[in-house]
Amino acid sequence: MTDEKKTGTGTNGSKMIEVRNVTKSFVRGKETLEVLKGLDLDVPEGSFDALMGPSGSGKSTLLNLIAGLDQPSSGKVVVGGSEPASMSDSARAQWRARNVGFVFQTFNMMPVLTALENVELPLLLTKLPSKERKQRAQIALRVVGLEDRMHHYPNQLSGGQEQRVAIARAIVSDPKIIVADEPTGDLDRKSADEILDLLQRLNREQNKTIIMVTHDPSAAERATVIHRLDKGALAQN
Amino acid sequence: MAIPLAYNFRSLFVRKATTIATALGVGLVVFVLAASMMLSNGIRETMVSSGSPANALILRKGSDTELASSIENKFFSVVQAAPGVKRDGDGQPLSTGDVVVVVALDRLASGPGQVSNVLVRGVMDNVFKLRPQVKLVQGRPAKPGTDEAIIGKGLLGGYGGLTLGGTFELKKNRAVNVVGVFEAGGSSYESEVWVNIDTLRASFGRDGLFSSITVQLDDPNKYEAFATVVESDKQLGLESFREREYYDKQSEGTSMVISTLGGITAVLFSVGAMIGAMITMYGSVALRSREIGTLRALGFSRFSILVAFLLESTALAALGGLAGTLVSLVCTFFKFSTMNYNTWQEVSFTFRASPGVMGFALAAGCVMGVVGGFLPALRAAYTSPVDAMRA
Amino acid sequence: MQLSSLATRNVLRNRFRTIATALGVAVAILAFVLLRTVVSAWTEGAEYAAKDRLGTRHKVSFILSLPLRYVAEVEQIPGVKRSMGASWFGAKHPTREQEFFATIAVQSKAFFEVYDEIQVPEAQRAAWMENRKGAIVGRVLAKKFGWNVGDRVKLRGTIYPGDWDFEISGIYDSQRRSVDLASFFFHYDYLNDSVPARRKDQIGWIASRIDSSDKAAQISKQIDEKFDERDIQTLSMSEKALNNSFMGMFAAVLGAMDLVSIVILLIMMLILGNTVAMGVRERTHEYGVLRAIGFLPRHLASFVLGEAAAIGALGGGLGLLLSYPVVEKGLGRFLEENMSGFFPVFRIDTSTTIQAFVFATLLGLIAAAIPAYRTSKLNVIDALRRVG
Repeated sequence: MTDEKKTGTGTNGSKMIEVRNVTKSFVRGKETLEVLKGLDLDVPEGSFDALMGPSGSGKSTLLNLIAGLDQPSSGKVVVGGSEPASMSDSARAQWRARNVGFVFQTFNMMPVLTALENVELPLLLTKLPSKERKQRAQIALRVVGLEDRMHHYPNQLSGGQEQRVAIARAIVSDPKIIVADEPTGDLDRKSADEILDLLQRLNREQNKTIIMVTHDPSAAERATVIHRLDKGALAQN
Repeated sequence: MAIPLAYNFRSLFVRKATTIATALGVGLVVFVLAASMMLSNGIRETMVSSGSPANALILRKGSDTELASSIENKFFSVVQAAPGVKRDGDGQPLSTGDVVVVVALDRLASGPGQVSNVLVRGVMDNVFKLRPQVKLVQGRPAKPGTDEAIIGKGLLGGYGGLTLGGTFELKKNRAVNVVGVFEAGGSSYESEVWVNIDTLRASFGRDGLFSSITVQLDDPNKYEAFATVVESDKQLGLESFREREYYDKQSEGTSMVISTLGGITAVLFSVGAMIGAMITMYGSVALRSREIGTLRALGFSRFSILVAFLLESTALAALGGLAGTLVSLVCTFFKFSTMNYNTWQEVSFTFRASPGVMGFALAAGCVMGVVGGFLPALRAAYTSPVDAMRA
Repeated sequence: MQLSSLATRNVLRNRFRTIATALGVAVAILAFVLLRTVVSAWTEGAEYAAKDRLGTRHKVSFILSLPLRYVAEVEQIPGVKRSMGASWFGAKHPTREQEFFATIAVQSKAFFEVYDEIQVPEAQRAAWMENRKGAIVGRVLAKKFGWNVGDRVKLRGTIYPGDWDFEISGIYDSQRRSVDLASFFFHYDYLNDSVPARRKDQIGWIASRIDSSDKAAQISKQIDEKFDERDIQTLSMSEKALNNSFMGMFAAVLGAMDLVSIVILLIMMLILGNTVAMGVRERTHEYGVLRAIGFLPRHLASFVLGEAAAIGALGGGLGLLLSYPVVEKGLGRFLEENMSGFFPVFRIDTSTTIQAFVFATLLGLIAAAIPAYRTSKLNVIDALRRVG
């Protein structure tokens, strides 16, 4: 495993994410593809980890397993003390809503909702009253620095701003982990830097555990640890 | 240069469900249009085919219909003697007189106690000479001078007593036996009961009277001469019609109601179908904006793209229209009976398909495709190659 | 913002498509309302027909007459309050022959008792009674031909040939909905006095008022039994039954209209379903995101259904808004004036309005059923993988 550790960043003893001997295979027609082969990974709480690798290496698949979007063919994935693979579909959905914040490459705002309403979305799944939902959404927007645009629609925001709203949405329910799949893929250099600054800040100031898949080496540099995957296994040093 | 048709045709099948839904919408509209036109046609033809081009029908002046007309016996010979009346092999003039009434009979398709008006025609023995299209298909002809009747095949099974071997009453204690069933080339006669004229006269107190007189002319072109002679004698108080025109008028009202109703409905429907086609094509254009941009970048003109998409929407509509037209042909197997309110009798009509109707319906479908697809095609044509690539 | 309002917010996504779809639905609703109103207006006559009034006619054919003396005999039957003889006159306007209207000779002394829904101002009524050649005409008919009280009119007879002189004594109206306001009534005595001997003392039919509508069938039977032994037999039934019989002859037309109404609803469903399916296809990736952040399959399905119902309801409302001017004001006025025999009242029924709106919304739901189901069965990973 090639883990390039940076010193002086928030790693402490407790493990947020534990991946044990995980394999994931897909059946395509008559062939079975083994995307992940007996993988082990530990991510401590408060770590900012980057997953890099060529396309087809399985990095997105690994991210999906950690996020509880998919289940391993064999092995265990434990996140924040829970094993999402062992839950029913609806329990898992609820677990994701409470524990995982998502940031995607294509920002995925609902065009008919304002920034504030978009950030409010995950809170609709809780029992919070409307007033409190709005308050929390506003706070989240404040953290990402877009409180003054909360009533704007996505088409009134730049790419970078939209992604920041997405991050606000990802943190609004105070999740245990933030999962980011190529968060800077669709952004220009300057906006990309802003996003990465924001992620770093969330990691350092709020001790958010972040797993980020990226192609971009300069994005990966911002992380505490970089994992490299190749052909379904973490590359051994 | 033109965009290959194969591109358009195959694109239709990429989104099968949407294509089918839109085509179905157009198909339904075309079906309703074709069916109502066929019915309207059927009504006209049913009535008109009752009239022969060589025959003239005489009624009392001022009566619009046989039912309201009453002509005295003595005028029969005067009409017979008018110029232009054809003579048969024995030198006898080809002319006959009818008495027409409507009778209340139980309508079997409705609940108990529901009656309907059936037209009963009292005919002279020589009636078949003037109406050669009438042919017996079951049973036997009524014996002259008896209380026997033959019924048109359109009445079979619809009314109490009107079956081969059945009976009904024309007058109290005067039962009439149905001994035969006739067909009459799909004309309105098929919804009539024919009895001996004297039987009917006696039952209805019409002794010495006719409702109408029918003659066959030597030369249909010489009709005017005949009509003038008949109508000019004020003492006679008669009015003459070409038999065809008389029946045509009888069907006018009903036929017009059906075609108006059918027309309005079809117009409204077609607006709906066109909107449906438009939505589909807009969606298609939006989905394929990258493709279109590429075509533009490759050098295809705006016009060729416009044409291409118009062809696509027209083909889509034509598919539906074809299906709708073909399915509408199923209607020809059905009878449709309604009251002809000129004569207050219930008449059986059929749906008559004709190349004209089919062609029109199909064309209407295509037009829907063109109109509905026009705006989207315009949008496609004005896609900028640069924008599309960026999408 | 609530979960429930998310669905309806989505209709704003592609405003053009939403409006176009709503328009399509609106047109379909317009056609639907038109057809249903034609049917309901047409059959309304039967609905509102008097149940406590009977019609007695010649058993064999309506074109045969009954003897005048039968009227008095029918009045003798227990349960019959008053009987009136009437004959169809069948005349035409001398210059506007194509425009049909009903002309009926009635025994005027009994007229207003048997047809108490016909209202004529007292003075005009008295004038009519005094005037042998007097006639009372319906409000709609008077307007059509521009007739006023006191006008001399000439009508051309068809069944009774010749030109007949009349004077307009009064104009009638009615509170009751289904009354034909385009008829022409005159004195039977005038007709009877003017016909040749062999046509005298004959009556086309007898209208009788009975004391209780429950006894309609029973009294009808009694009347017919009374004349059963005579040469001229009768057929009696309540006015309502008569209307039903009449409508029975149009059963096929009414059936066809019902069928076409269903076709309209199908077309509406296709338009809605198509739009919903297109929307769903476009949003696959977005649905994936929603599932990722924790929304359940049933949430997504409800978004799809909610959106469809919203568009359906919008279209339904729009269609109804269009219907009132077009159907009631436009077509309705025309039919009431020119075909008042068939359509004395052409108003959109409340039930039609409700049906239209409910169908539009309901059909939206049904049309969206399959897309909604498909959406709920989305595989999250596959959905996320889809671009745009």
